[in-house]
Amino acid sequence: MDTQPKNLHNVFEKINDLKSLFRFGERMIPIITSLVDFMREMVPLLETINHSISESASKMPQATNQIADVTQATEMATTQILDRVDEISNSCNTIEKYLNRKEDSAQKRRDLLQNLLIRYENEPEIVEAVTVLKELENGSEEREQIIKLLGKISDDTYQITMALQVQDITAQQLAAVNHLIDSVRVKLSSLIIDISEAQLDDQIKAAKMEMPEGVHFDPNASYTDTAGKQDAVDSIFAASAGQEKTSQDEIDKLFR
Amino acid sequence: MALKFLVVDDSVTMRRIVINSLKNLGYEDYVEAADGKDALAKLQTDTGINFIITDWNMPNLSGLDLVKTVRNEATIGKMPILMVTTRGVKEDIIEALQAKVNNYIVKPFTPQVLKEKIDSILANLQ
Repeated sequence: MDTQPKNLHNVFEKINDLKSLFRFGERMIPIITSLVDFMREMVPLLETINHSISESASKMPQATNQIADVTQATEMATTQILDRVDEISNSCNTIEKYLNRKEDSAQKRRDLLQNLLIRYENEPEIVEAVTVLKELENGSEEREQIIKLLGKISDDTYQITMALQVQDITAQQLAAVNHLIDSVRVKLSSLIIDISEAQLDDQIKAAKMEMPEGVHFDPNASYTDTAGKQDAVDSIFAASAGQEKTSQDEIDKLFR
Repeated sequence: MALKFLVVDDSVTMRRIVINSLKNLGYEDYVEAADGKDALAKLQTDTGINFIITDWNMPNLSGLDLVKTVRNEATIGKMPILMVTTRGVKEDIIEALQAKVNNYIVKPFTPQVLKEKIDSILANLQ
């Protein structure tokens, strides 16, 4: 007899538990429904993102090729400029040599005329004519001006040569950009896989561009005025002159 | 002493610029190399080379590794080496110093700086 009320009590407890469960279920169903609807909406969006990333990643090799083409083109153009600069310098040297030869010839003529002046010093008409001829041979002032101009042209062409260092610096900067694009492409490719596996957060957190070892470009190359940089370098060398090894403290002092 | 330079740079443009600068300073004797490995090959075949001007960032063998290799060679270990590079950060300069370069120029350089560094190296050798 005692067991019957106890069993009933257990049954009622179970029924109450079931009722609680159903009530909980009633509350959860709308939430779960909303979640499923949300996921249903997200899937096409994720697929669009996936496709977009895939498309962007596929265009990157083209971008890196175009950047490499730019470097090649600038190198070719720079080489052509250097060729022309060399030709200008050679022409200036040739002109200067020619002028010097002309001056040598003119000096010989002046010497001959001087001898004539001495020989015919008592012949006023001859003296007058020879004097005029001697003055006509005296073009040294013009010659000096031409040589000065040639020197200026030579200096200017040399400055052009030095300015073309920009090609090497921009080539290194472009190589760094190419490396960055390639790194992004690799990361995006891995993202395409991970989006489908819903591991975006981890991948984004792990995305970190690192410079591999053995690169042959300087990502920090710049064409800004390096007088300050060279002065700093010279300070370090001056400080370490005569020493086997420069201490870090000494170097740090120079850079404070 | 008649100088014969080995000019090492993977950039054709930079090699021409350095060579033009050397010619402007009156140095006509030079050999070119496109990277550190090429430079070592030239050093083995041309015993007349007695001054190296090298870039840092190069494929196959970097300028820094070239310096270290040269310094470990008994026959050419004392050869003057001038580094001409875009690398200008303190750590790089220290690293080059520890590898025992004789001097260091940051690109872009002026002809005056090149002359000063070469003259300084030659003066220190005497």
